[in-house]
Amino acid sequence: MKISVKIGKAVFKNPVTIASGTFAHAEKYYNLEEVKKLGSLIPKTVTLRAQEGNPPPRIIETPSGMLNAIGIENPGIDTFIENKIPSLQKIGIPLILSILGHTDKEFIQIVEKLNQVKNISAIELNLSCPNLKHKTLVAQSEKATARLVRSVKKISKVPVIAKLSPNVTDISSIAKAAEGAGADAVSLINTLTAMVINTKTRKSALGNFTGGLSGPAIRPVAVHMVYRVAQRVKIPIIAMGGIMTADDALQYILAGASFVAVGTANFVNPRAPLDVLEGIKAYMRKNKIKDIRHLIGKVES
Amino acid sequence: MPALQNIFKVASNDKLSPRFHRLCIKSKPLIKDVKPGQFVHLRVRDGLEPFFRRPFSVYRNKKHLEVFYEPIGPGTELMSQLREGDDIDVLGPVGTPFSMPGKNIKQVVMIAGGIGIAPFLMLSDVLKRRNLDLVLLYGGRTMGHVYPMKEFKENGCKIFVATDDGSVGAKGRVSKLFSKINKDPKTTMLYTCGPNPMMAAVQAFAKKYHLKGEVACEEVMACALGACLGCSIRTTSGFKTVCYDGPVFDLDEVIFD
Ligand SMILES: Cc1cc2nc3c(=O)[nH]c(=O)nc-3n(C[C@H](O)[C@H](O)[C@H](O)COP(=O)(O)OP(=O)(O)OC[C@H]3O[C@@H](n4cnc5c(N)ncnc54)[C@H](O)[C@@H]3O)c2cc1C
Ligand SMILES: Cc1cc2nc3c(=O)[nH]c(=O)nc-3n(C[C@H](O)[C@H](O)[C@H](O)COP(=O)(O)O)c2cc1C
Ligand code: FES
Repeated sequence: MKISVKIGKAVFKNPVTIASGTFAHAEKYYNLEEVKKLGSLIPKTVTLRAQEGNPPPRIIETPSGMLNAIGIENPGIDTFIENKIPSLQKIGIPLILSILGHTDKEFIQIVEKLNQVKNISAIELNLSCPNLKHKTLVAQSEKATARLVRSVKKISKVPVIAKLSPNVTDISSIAKAAEGAGADAVSLINTLTAMVINTKTRKSALGNFTGGLSGPAIRPVAVHMVYRVAQRVKIPIIAMGGIMTADDALQYILAGASFVAVGTANFVNPRAPLDVLEGIKAYMRKNKIKDIRHLIGKVES
Repeated sequence: MPALQNIFKVASNDKLSPRFHRLCIKSKPLIKDVKPGQFVHLRVRDGLEPFFRRPFSVYRNKKHLEVFYEPIGPGTELMSQLREGDDIDVLGPVGTPFSMPGKNIKQVVMIAGGIGIAPFLMLSDVLKRRNLDLVLLYGGRTMGHVYPMKEFKENGCKIFVATDDGSVGAKGRVSKLFSKINKDPKTTMLYTCGPNPMMAAVQAFAKKYHLKGEVACEEVMACALGACLGCSIRTTSGFKTVCYDGPVFDLDEVIFD
């Protein structure tokens, strides 16, 4: 059975990965032999300088999902390279590093620093975090997306992925713009801007006022977006949004995704990524599918 | 090392008082390594409602792993319906435990409000082996809210209670009971857990008398593994996660708003 997939020239032994912002402290808590089975790992987004994140409360449970407004709390790229990358590399699976600059120039500065680091498989540009004080997201403009992807592609030593926002009228146009600018893949979806109001206090339930919705609640929306994007672009799609089980992941693969990322499900079931991987293999065995490429985008219309 | 996440069987689930229940979980592989102040992150049933797991302090680790809880919402209500032999999905124990009092400490004071008493029984189980004065200051709303103190008495704790309406013990907040303890900073160690205003009062008291202490904090949690950064609280050195950096912090470190 062949389940390896590619982004640009980078090869991954299987399509299952972990979405940015949903995995940490591998050495302390996880059986690394098991984590090693995954195809890759996308750590929490890193910015140029350290960010302390948004005021609490930062999360709240919602029907079949959650809102978060973490605000990209992270130690900054230099500390990340020095202290975090070595331990992430010890896990022994390809790393896709998620980065965010508050300006195009910051993105470039981060990529220049990452160019000095060995053994990174790809860079994911987070163009779509809804929890920062930006009026518009890069991923809400075809132009801004294309400009940024183009300038990063010029210097990056590794494949570049554009992470897109669902908070747009037509995500497939943004994906097309990213592809046109040279992106090696797109990943979608980031969270949907949302809010919960506490009727007792008449205030937002989150310290940041709004947050991003994730989890199974968004899955059908995200599956449709992946389907739409797959109709328009040829580059691989990393799909995410409420994947809890292999069946969820297979929906995305049939819709056109080459990769599937498990996010929020990690909080409920830390074994979810492995369960998804095993389940995809079982489905392929049962349906006598020899190569995962024979499943990608094969939804019948 | 036991697995991070296990499905265990419920050994028993009893109502101990009008408000408080105790869930015993047959979780032998976890018993040996768990330390006072750590917690387990429970998923009571499969399915998406409620969506998050729920965190609970480890109350005791005798034959079973015990959790002491108060039904206050959908998760804890569901928990109260568990019966012997039911499955329960246990993540953990996780979190930073209480540190043990140093050699010079003679008096250990546990200050708890409401369900905040949960982590202290195990602490007293461990500390009773040492030659220490164990004191428990407990604040509850009214008589029915007061924890049945039997096990703490068996562990040799001196117990003082305050209730808001005076139906048991002193009338007023737990701070009414601060006069009951010895305030020598060299030989006293405080541990506190309860509602934030209470812990803030303990912090102010400790500061005034230069007493050392630790606090077990609560915050809504998703992962309980330090992954989501959702349970952060303010500390003197920036945001820290309750689940991973805590739940136990130095008393003077936490900024209660
Ligand atoms: C480290 C830790 C240890 C805990 N130990 C115990 C324990 O030993 N016994 C016990 O009964 N409870 C304990 N709690 C609190 C317990 O997790 C909540 O009571 C429970 O999650 C409520 O779930 P619910 O669905 O019943 O109610 P919900 O409807 O979810 O909540 C009811 C109310 O409690 C608040 N709340 C919910 N979750 C938390 C939380 N994690 N921390 C603080 N407030 C919350 C909500 O904002 C709401 O106002 C602990 C919490 C933490 C963080
Ligand atoms: C707590 C939390 C933190 C997140 N942090 C990031 C982040 O730092 N960078 C990013 O690109 N996406 C982040 N995301 C979005 C996820 O990577 C993912 O795109 C989204 O949650 C949808 O997938 P899911 O439903 O499987 O979680 C975060 C999501 C959650 C729930
Ligand atoms: S609950 Fe996720 S970091 Fe604490």
